[in-house]
Amino acid sequence: MIEVNNLVKDYKVVRALDGVSFKIEKGEVVGFLGPNGAGKTTCMKIITGFISATAGEVKVASLDVVENGVEVRKRIGYLPENAPLYPDMTPREYLAFVSTLRGIDSKEVPKRIEKVAQVVGITDRLDQEIGTLSKGYRQRVGLAQAMIHEPEILILDEPTSGLDPNQIVEMRDIIKEIGKQRTVILSTHNLPEVTATCNRIIIIHKGRIAADGTPDEIQSAHGGGNFYLVEVEKHDSVDLTSLFSSIAGAKHVAMLASSGTSQRLRIEGVENKDLRKDIFELCVQKGLTLLGLQRERLDLETIFQRITVQ
Amino acid sequence: MIRNCIAIARREFYAYFSSPVAYIAIFLYLVLLAITFFFKIPFLLPKEDFFAEKEASLRALFEWSLLLFTVFLPAISMRLLAEEKKMGTMEILLTLPVTDVEVVVGKLFGAVGFLLVALALTLAYPILLFAIGKPDLGPILGGYFGVLLVGMGYLAIGLMASSFTSSQVVAFLVAIVVCAFLTFVDRIPEALGIRALEPLNAMSFSYHFRSIARGVLDTRDIVFFVSIIVAALTIAHYSLSSRRWR
Repeated sequence: MIEVNNLVKDYKVVRALDGVSFKIEKGEVVGFLGPNGAGKTTCMKIITGFISATAGEVKVASLDVVENGVEVRKRIGYLPENAPLYPDMTPREYLAFVSTLRGIDSKEVPKRIEKVAQVVGITDRLDQEIGTLSKGYRQRVGLAQAMIHEPEILILDEPTSGLDPNQIVEMRDIIKEIGKQRTVILSTHNLPEVTATCNRIIIIHKGRIAADGTPDEIQSAHGGGNFYLVEVEKHDSVDLTSLFSSIAGAKHVAMLASSGTSQRLRIEGVENKDLRKDIFELCVQKGLTLLGLQRERLDLETIFQRITVQ
Repeated sequence: MIRNCIAIARREFYAYFSSPVAYIAIFLYLVLLAITFFFKIPFLLPKEDFFAEKEASLRALFEWSLLLFTVFLPAISMRLLAEEKKMGTMEILLTLPVTDVEVVVGKLFGAVGFLLVALALTLAYPILLFAIGKPDLGPILGGYFGVLLVGMGYLAIGLMASSFTSSQVVAFLVAIVVCAFLTFVDRIPEALGIRALEPLNAMSFSYHFRSIARGVLDTRDIVFFVSIIVAALTIAHYSLSSRRWR
C-alpha cells in the first residue's frame, strides 16, 4: 500500500530524514513514535505530497507521490498537526467545502457529512463556528475532514495532542474503530497511545528508523524478555548466585529480597534466547524447589527511552 | 479544474464577508469616492473634478478609484495565501486532490468577486448621472471595464506578494510598492523631464487605463492587463510549488 524508499530530507542546515525506508501493507495501523523533532511530521508531509524529499521515493498504491500527486492525494486522508481549519466556517460548511474539492457528488454531500459527523461525534456541533469549538471538537472536525471521502489511507499527525485524558480515550476509540477497515498511520510521542491503537510501531529517531515491528517484536528485539524473576526455597548449602550464573546465556544474577523460607533472584539473560527451561531444569537437577519463575519484559517505555536517549 | 476553482473562489469570497475587514474596506472606499464626488476635493487629483468641466462623466471617479485601489486591493489580497500559511490550513488545502494552479486561480477569483461587489456599489453614480444629465455611455462602460482590469491586475500582484510570505503585513507592503510603481511609472518621464524614458508609459496601469476609459477598446491595452495578471499568477504558482522542489 505504502512504500517508502531511502527517504532523505534536508532543511536548510538540518537533515530531518536520513535514509528512511519501510513498507506498510493494507489494513495495518502503524504508529510513528519518536521524540519531538525526530522526523515524524516531515515523513508524513512527504507521503501526503505536501513537500517533497531531497532524495528517495514514496509510492502509494504503486503510484509515485511526486509524479501522480493528485491521484495519490485522492487515496489519502490527512490530518495535520493541531488540526488547522478555517475558524470562520462551521464544520458543516467546511466539510462541504472539502467534499467538493474531494470530488464527492453534491447530492451525496449532506449524507456523507451526517455519517462522518456520527463517527467522530460532532453531530451536535455541525453548525457552530469552528473558531469557537474546543480543541477536542476541532480535532474531531479535522478527523472528519480526513475521512469524508472514505480514503484507503489515513495519515494522522498527533491526533491526540492537546486533548484532555477523556478526549484522548475517545479519540483512540475512534481511531481503533477506523483502523478496522483502513490503513492508518499516526504519529505520537506518547507511548500508551501506540500500544493502545497500533499493531505496528516504527520508532524514528534523529531522522532514522530505530525500530520497526509489532510491540512484541520490538520488546524482544530490544532487550525485552531477557530478565527472569526466580523464586526458590532457601537452601543454605548452595550459592545461588554462582549456580545460576553457570547457565549458558545468563549474563548477570542479582539477589533480591528474601522472605521467610524463600529467596528471590533476578537473572539477566542474553537477548533472543528464552532461559526459562534451563532455569527450571537446573533447579530440578540441583534439587531446588522452584516457587516461581517469570520472564520479565522491558516495557516499551524503557525501550523507547534507551533507543532515543543515545 | 473549473469545479475546484469555483469551490475555492467561493470559499474565499464568503471568507471576506465573515470578517469586518471587508466591510470596513468597502465602506472607506465608498466614503472616499463620495467625498471626491460631492465635495470636489482635488487633492491627488488632476485639476478637473466632476462639475468643474460641467461634463457628465465619471472620469474623476475612475481616476480616484485607481488611486484608492493601490492601497485598498493589496489590503484585500494580502491574506489570500499568507494567512493560510500562517495558520497551517494550507497544508490541508494542498493535500486535497487539487493542483496549485487551481488554488492560485480560485483565490484570485474569490478576491475578484469581492472587487465586483465594491464596484457594483458604485453604480449609484452612473445612475445619478443619467438622472441629471445625458452622459456618454461609452466612457462609462470603458471606465468600468478599465477599472475592473486594473483591479484584477492589482489583486493578482497582491496574490503574488501573498505567496512570498506568511506575514500579511509584508504581503501588503510588497503589493503596495509594486502596484504604486506600475500605476505612477508614467509620471516619471514627465517629472524628470527626460523624454527618452517615455517608453516606460507602456508599462503603466494608468496609461493603459486611460486608453480603455476613453471608450476605445484597443487590444494592446487588454493584452497588457492580461499579461500582467498571467505573469503575477505564474510567479505566485511557482512560489507556491517551490516547497516541492528538490
